[in-house]
Amino acid sequence: MTRVVVIGAGLAGLVAALHLAEDGARVTVVAKGAGSLHLSPGTIDVLGYAPERVESPREAMAGFVASRPEHPYAHLADAINDALAWFVACVPRMRFVGDGEENLLLPTAVGVPRHTAFAPASMAAADLRAGGRFVAVGLSGLKDFFPRLLAENLMRAGLPGVSVSVRHAEIAASPRPGVADVAGQVYARALDEPAFRVAFAAALKAVIEPGETIVIPAVLGLAKADEVWDEMQERLGAPIAEIPTVPPSVPGMRLQRELNAALSRAGVRTILGPEAVGYQSDAGRVSHVSVREAARTRHLPADAVVLATGGFAAGGIELDSYGALHEKVFDLPVVGPPEGTPRLSARHLDHQPLMASGVAVDGACRPVGPDGNVVWPNLHAAGAGIAGAEPWREKSGEGIAIAAGYRAARAILEET
Amino acid sequence: MTHPLQDLMRDSLDHCVKCTICETYCPVAAATPLFPGPKYVGPQAERFRGIGPEADRSLDYCSSCGICTQVCPQGVHIAEINNQARAALAQDRGVSVRDKLIARPTVAGWMGAPVAPIANWTTSFGPFRVLLEKVLRIHRHAPLPKWAGRTFQNRTRSRRRAPNVRAPERQVVFFHGCAANFYEPDTAAHAIAVLEHNGLEVIVPKQGCCGLPLQSNGLYDDARAYVRKLVAQLAPYARAGHDIVATSTSCGLMLKREAREILGMDDDDLRVVSEHLYDICEYLVMLDDRGDLRTDMQPVEMTVPYHAPCQQRGHGIGTPALELMALIPGLEARQLDSVCCGVAGTYGMKVEKYDIAMEVGRGLFEQVRASGAELSVCDSETCRWQIAAATDRPSVHPVEILYRAYGLG
Amino acid sequence: MISDTQAATECAEESAILRRIAAESIEDTGGLFVTTPADDPAYADRFFAGCRATGVAVQEITVGAALAREPRINPGISRAFEVEDASIDAWTLLWGNARSAQEHGATILSYHWVTEVLRDGDRVVGALARDDRSHEDVRIEAGFVINAGGVWAGEIADMARCPGITVVPGKGIMIAMNHRLVSTVVNRCEHPADGDIIVPSHSVCIIGTTDVKVDSPDDLSISPGEVQQMLDAGEVIVPGFRQARALHVWTGARPLFKDTHSDEHGEDTHHMSRGLALVDHLSHDGVSGFLTITGGKLTTYRLMAETVVDAMCAQMGAARTCTTASEPLPGSQAGNYYWLGSRLAAQEEAMADDQLVCECELIPRRRLLEVARRRPGMNLDDVRRVLRLGMGPCQGGFCTYRATGILHGLGDAEVGRADELLLTFLQHRWLGLEPILYGDQMRQACLDDWIFQGTLDVEHLPVAVPA
Repeated sequence: MTRVVVIGAGLAGLVAALHLAEDGARVTVVAKGAGSLHLSPGTIDVLGYAPERVESPREAMAGFVASRPEHPYAHLADAINDALAWFVACVPRMRFVGDGEENLLLPTAVGVPRHTAFAPASMAAADLRAGGRFVAVGLSGLKDFFPRLLAENLMRAGLPGVSVSVRHAEIAASPRPGVADVAGQVYARALDEPAFRVAFAAALKAVIEPGETIVIPAVLGLAKADEVWDEMQERLGAPIAEIPTVPPSVPGMRLQRELNAALSRAGVRTILGPEAVGYQSDAGRVSHVSVREAARTRHLPADAVVLATGGFAAGGIELDSYGALHEKVFDLPVVGPPEGTPRLSARHLDHQPLMASGVAVDGACRPVGPDGNVVWPNLHAAGAGIAGAEPWREKSGEGIAIAAGYRAARAILEET
Repeated sequence: MTHPLQDLMRDSLDHCVKCTICETYCPVAAATPLFPGPKYVGPQAERFRGIGPEADRSLDYCSSCGICTQVCPQGVHIAEINNQARAALAQDRGVSVRDKLIARPTVAGWMGAPVAPIANWTTSFGPFRVLLEKVLRIHRHAPLPKWAGRTFQNRTRSRRRAPNVRAPERQVVFFHGCAANFYEPDTAAHAIAVLEHNGLEVIVPKQGCCGLPLQSNGLYDDARAYVRKLVAQLAPYARAGHDIVATSTSCGLMLKREAREILGMDDDDLRVVSEHLYDICEYLVMLDDRGDLRTDMQPVEMTVPYHAPCQQRGHGIGTPALELMALIPGLEARQLDSVCCGVAGTYGMKVEKYDIAMEVGRGLFEQVRASGAELSVCDSETCRWQIAAATDRPSVHPVEILYRAYGLG
Repeated sequence: MISDTQAATECAEESAILRRIAAESIEDTGGLFVTTPADDPAYADRFFAGCRATGVAVQEITVGAALAREPRINPGISRAFEVEDASIDAWTLLWGNARSAQEHGATILSYHWVTEVLRDGDRVVGALARDDRSHEDVRIEAGFVINAGGVWAGEIADMARCPGITVVPGKGIMIAMNHRLVSTVVNRCEHPADGDIIVPSHSVCIIGTTDVKVDSPDDLSISPGEVQQMLDAGEVIVPGFRQARALHVWTGARPLFKDTHSDEHGEDTHHMSRGLALVDHLSHDGVSGFLTITGGKLTTYRLMAETVVDAMCAQMGAARTCTTASEPLPGSQAGNYYWLGSRLAAQEEAMADDQLVCECELIPRRRLLEVARRRPGMNLDDVRRVLRLGMGPCQGGFCTYRATGILHGLGDAEVGRADELLLTFLQHRWLGLEPILYGDQMRQACLDDWIFQGTLDVEHLPVAVPA
């Protein structure tokens, strides 16, 4: 049985681990923390801006890749459709809506219509492409949602050819009466229990008008989100759409739960806590991944390795105080802005070349050096550590993570 | 007192990007608004500490389960920062008689052990518990263990052998912890039987308390003294190349990590002991990886819920108990997806924390009850007592299942 | 200190006054001067003698005692001196003075650019200013005009047709570090130089500073070289400084007064040796009703005010005694110094009753509402300067959206303005982040990008992205 060590428990690492384990590999995920899925909005972005608004990621992909040969998608374009179809099926309780053909257009918490390829059904109900009448409802205890700002910005968004009207309202129903600051996950856990659903639905009922779609922050349940959404719509007789909030994100927590369950069913061994600090090699291949445990360093044997430690945000790629770039586990060559070109722009929302730093890979997601040669034949990279993307600008983060995790896994399965 | 390692723990607050992942996992923040969460009391509040009087209040509600540190994707030592801040608070405001007492399991252990039947009667006697609650503020329903009478140390005097420098790999040293010594000697005896079944000679040196309860109650100086004494007892074996195996996952963690990272200790005895120390399940899986674990197991036709306790997770070794139980024919061990049982050592015994602890554990208890299993499995003793009391069925150490599968009893 | 004994004495006197009148903005940290391995060892004796000569309280302590007091400083230091020193928060001090002035009848027009100084013959009689927000001109008629324009004082004097006042901006950068690496003001015992001081301030500590003569007071650029220079200097004082987290960098400009007029004509400016300069334009240019005060430093700001107002009174023939040395500023009447734990204590007290808007700097919603009601129409930088909004580790990552939503919800900012507030604040935070983006702060910047661009898609808000 092929022993694979996956380093990192973010989306890319978990996707790789799950796909490998489902196809019979013996997989150990090792990560110093729980990954950052709890920050994810729970949607699957593939390509939203290139840099113009992308209506169809599938159609736009060929042109995008042709114009951006350094982009991760240049290596992943032919894997992405299979990867997404497989992934959506792995987490059925997320009830993803979308086909990768046409982007959905969903309001963000600040009231911007935003493109994404797949979204849970509980969010897709606010798809603005069809227009409609909405009421944005805030929760007085939740400090991370401003229904009036959302409503007024959405009214100004100027969507061509559709009519959108949005009101705003607020309800006081709270799982912690008398407490001013209530986190989204506290609402969500309370809504997992039927008792609070009744009070919550009653409060919502009082502020809605017939024909409106209710838009609320994404707190409708955690472990039983599907059940909560169904019950709420039934009680209110109106469609409800969740809007992802700034972190922590309840839909991201749901996705983590569903993936954890799938990994556990597939027999993936997960070791959280020890940080991967290096490797051992034998005969030109990586033979072990070294992890620093509480009291000693342990060397995990591996026939193949997936490096999914992320980019700058997760610490897989580090920029030191002298401006040098480092990959933390294998000391891989990191590709940054070419010497003599600007690294960062003084305008915050401009393209920031430095942010796209990472490791360059080949078609099997294997890191390559400046000469284009593979660094280790059995080392594969996945996720935000791959060079060439600014996923938050492109709205491409989950697409890259899923496609790269899947491709890395396939490459390992095909080699062995 | 400042120590490079302590600084390292505190300085890890620089890695905090405020992402709040720790707070989404924190079992106490989920149970009560009195605790604003590990990020708040940890890397966030820490920037406002160090000068003048201690400003904290809510920090006291942290149960020290350590989950925040385990899940933090940025490497912030949140639990360690919080633990150290709570110790500073204890120093500033004093430690109650109750906390001083429950922080010393050996004291209660020695008081009760010789008169176990009487002691056990009093602690299960309602009016006495009401009195205990009134006087010492130990909750009347908090699970207290039963004294076993003769201590495990006493039972294993014949195993106090010197290290064998010539064949250390055939010998292991057993570190049993206070709970096994006073309350659960059978679990310890069964662990020894399992190790012996695998061809190992088991040494049980004279050994004291690891000081963990002192540490969690903010009594760092006393805790350090306990650690120093204990590692001096174990270090000669480690130096001779012996592995040390612990059934108490929390005491094992204390020697592996917390004494260094929380108490800021850094001495040779501690270092060599921690390098050689293994949780028993971790050790047995390591034997299995080497092909040295006997797999002559009889079927155990059972489905058992398994809870990986917080302190076990702190080892960062995955869930070896599940891997071991997967080797047993007929047995299906299902990991519960609740993070904590609530008791967190001595936290759940305290009258002002008991309700919170029960709320923290509620989901876990419901899952255990709903499983319909006759028992549950968990690596940590205080958690087992809590789960057993809350679910009205025994909770056992994973090694007990192995003991049964090996047909040893 | 050695170079200018009178200035040192004045500084000490003013420090004592500030402790009385502006306790709220002062933290009594004490100070240390340490001779690091990079410093000239001979300087310490001269420093000590200089302090003694000027009556500045100083005490040499052992290296061990210094390290016990500040465990992170360079263990290789050879000498250490304890002095009386304090950390002063310029914004708190400024707000205290502003409120005090208002209570005494002053009107304060911030965001107003002086465009013209009005003359009536040989007399200055007022000023024209442009309101930066409404773009309207404001005419202010006054019996007397004091030019306290700092690095812009020369330009303002020019507007009054009083040429020759040259104020050279001495640009310096400062870097705020994520938490207190020191709790005492730590100076290198060395000739005053770049990067020779770390000051604890609120929840951070600040390393300063460079000194570069620049042509324009509006030049606030930060070069990579300056940042590297500060980090190297930090490493000398606190080993490991480069691994610690830098939060934000900014520049300020010291007004270095240069009187070209008197250089040419010899005499008629009243120079004051303390580094602050009063220019009497009556004797200087034959213009009455107009005084310029410039030079100086934060510690002597009150003395500068006293000096210029006394001169005004003399010119106007009004005998009024200055009371600023004895009258505590609003907020400082109780005489309590700033305490680092104060916000945490307040938050712990009010935990159940309020929402935390800025988690890093512990700003509850109530404080934001109070400030917004007191001064309508604020932008988020204004809020920051009052409350420290967005000044902590996440640099606005979590509070910007909240503060925008709250101000919008209050009706204080209509939706277009709210969007503008949000984007402008992010842009302004970025200016102080971009030059120090490495290590942990790079991680933070990426998370913040995920939040604003990834999740909220703020770059597609229907407003023009601010320049």
